Amino acid sequence: MRKKRKSLWRRVNENTYIQATSGLLLPMAFGVILFALWQTEVLHKIFHTDTFTLPVPTRILSVIVDNPDKVIQNVVATVTVAVIGLVIGSVIGYLVAIIATLFPRWGGGGLSIVAACNAIPIVALAPVMTNWTKDVSKDANIRSMVAKTLVVMIICIASMSVNAYRGLTELKPFSLDLMKSYNAKRRTVFFKLRIPNSVPYIFTALRVSIPASVITAVVSEYFAEYVIGVGRQIRENIVLAQYTAAWGYITVASLIGIVMYVILMIAERILLRRR
Amino acid sequence: MKERIKKAASSKVVVTLVWLFGIAAIWEVMAMRVAETKRTPANILPHIGDIVKSIFDAKMVSNNMTAVQLVLSNASDTLLRAFWGFLIGAIVGFLLAILMKLSKIVEKTIFPYLMLIQMIPILGMAPIILAMTHDIGASRIIIAAILTFYPIATNTLAGLNSVQKEKYELMYSYSASKWTIYRKMLIPACIPYLFTGLKISAPMAITASILVDTLQGDGGLGCILSQSLKHAMSIYVFWQIVLFSAAVGILSCTLMGWIEKIVSPMKRIERKQNSIFARRKEAQYEKEKEKSLATGE
Repeated sequence: MRKKRKSLWRRVNENTYIQATSGLLLPMAFGVILFALWQTEVLHKIFHTDTFTLPVPTRILSVIVDNPDKVIQNVVATVTVAVIGLVIGSVIGYLVAIIATLFPRWGGGGLSIVAACNAIPIVALAPVMTNWTKDVSKDANIRSMVAKTLVVMIICIASMSVNAYRGLTELKPFSLDLMKSYNAKRRTVFFKLRIPNSVPYIFTALRVSIPASVITAVVSEYFAEYVIGVGRQIRENIVLAQYTAAWGYITVASLIGIVMYVILMIAERILLRRR
Repeated sequence: MKERIKKAASSKVVVTLVWLFGIAAIWEVMAMRVAETKRTPANILPHIGDIVKSIFDAKMVSNNMTAVQLVLSNASDTLLRAFWGFLIGAIVGFLLAILMKLSKIVEKTIFPYLMLIQMIPILGMAPIILAMTHDIGASRIIIAAILTFYPIATNTLAGLNSVQKEKYELMYSYSASKWTIYRKMLIPACIPYLFTGLKISAPMAITASILVDTLQGDGGLGCILSQSLKHAMSIYVFWQIVLFSAAVGILSCTLMGWIEKIVSPMKRIERKQNSIFARRKEAQYEKEKEKSLATGE
């Protein structure tokens, strides 16, 4: 059989090495071009703006580097809120999903209401929470921290419970029949089949709720009583028309989200290695 | 059979209603406790009845408008901008997904940035976009559009990539053109995914629009929300907005579900089959339960 010589295009497409490197190089090139356009103020011309409202990246970075103490203090505040809310919310969400699995008829209905929480604008929640937590502590810092954490928690409960419920109920075909043929008890089915099956779904939920928790923490800081946190700094600096500092804090907030996401990805790689 | 369908349909509604009643009951109990212990209970947790009463209250709150007139007139402002932003974002997101499907290079270049955009607190950028555009209306639309666009782009792309290899092979055997492949196979395949994206982003667009409102006193729900919180007008205006925005958020999500049902007939058939299947399964489950009870297991 005559072997047809493949075209260059096809060979490039099928070469895994080239594909892997291009997957890394292309976005990097895009980033570098964007950075260059921004730094040389071409972007400003496109968006009809000036370096005052959209400072060049090096200025933004220098602002972050120049005030390490203040930045770290605010980052710690935001990260604590986001992480505590995420952890508590996810645990509660998972418990809700378990309860819904144990009592399918009533739990399913309840879950649809929890899912509806996803559609509630968080802005509406934040001021309510501030009002609710007036008595929690005499310290305004702790008080507003609890309020912010509650908002993050609600968001995380919603996404975790819906996803975990799917993980606990959408089993692989015939696996339930197999368990039945083993004459397995309900408890055994639950621990040996349902819970392991839900693990990838937990990560799906976390992938949604990690960025959401950071953004929620940032936004609820706007409405909080005590002036702390990355989000609040963004707002305060804009009120004072210090756009460079505001951009600095926006960058920091994005970095928090990215770092948390990367940690999740690494955890997922390690935990789901055997799947 | 007919009775059974009726029973199944009503039971789900009943379950949801019971849950709603339960939540309302908890709310009322809490509100009663708050009313006993706090000086200004309306700020913390008013009775549901009081909120409803305030909706029908004819007392003028500001500008010769009753509370509910005020909320509704501002809501139209906010929702209209949210809608435009949503529409623009949806179209851009969809087109971007198609573009990424058409060209592997574009996908590789842009996709990591799509993930990155998710991490940027766009709502935090609202004031800066406002400073750039100098127009609150435009910045509301832009932010709603940005927030809408990435869930739609990523979900649609996932839909386009979900098509099985066999289907491509079938199209190849028909020697279908690229246009036909997209029109007959890829775009119909991605529609359920597109609607998943739309369902996520519709409430987000509304949230964005409300939040941007709070930044500048130019009317809109967010604006009167912050005024009401500062006690410039009755606090019940705030509670009405909370209920209203929650209702609109859920409604926007449901609305997308309805549109999906109308747009994709495939989904309708699927749902019908699913519900028949589920009912059968449920009946079987009941029967087994009875049997197990009878045998005393």
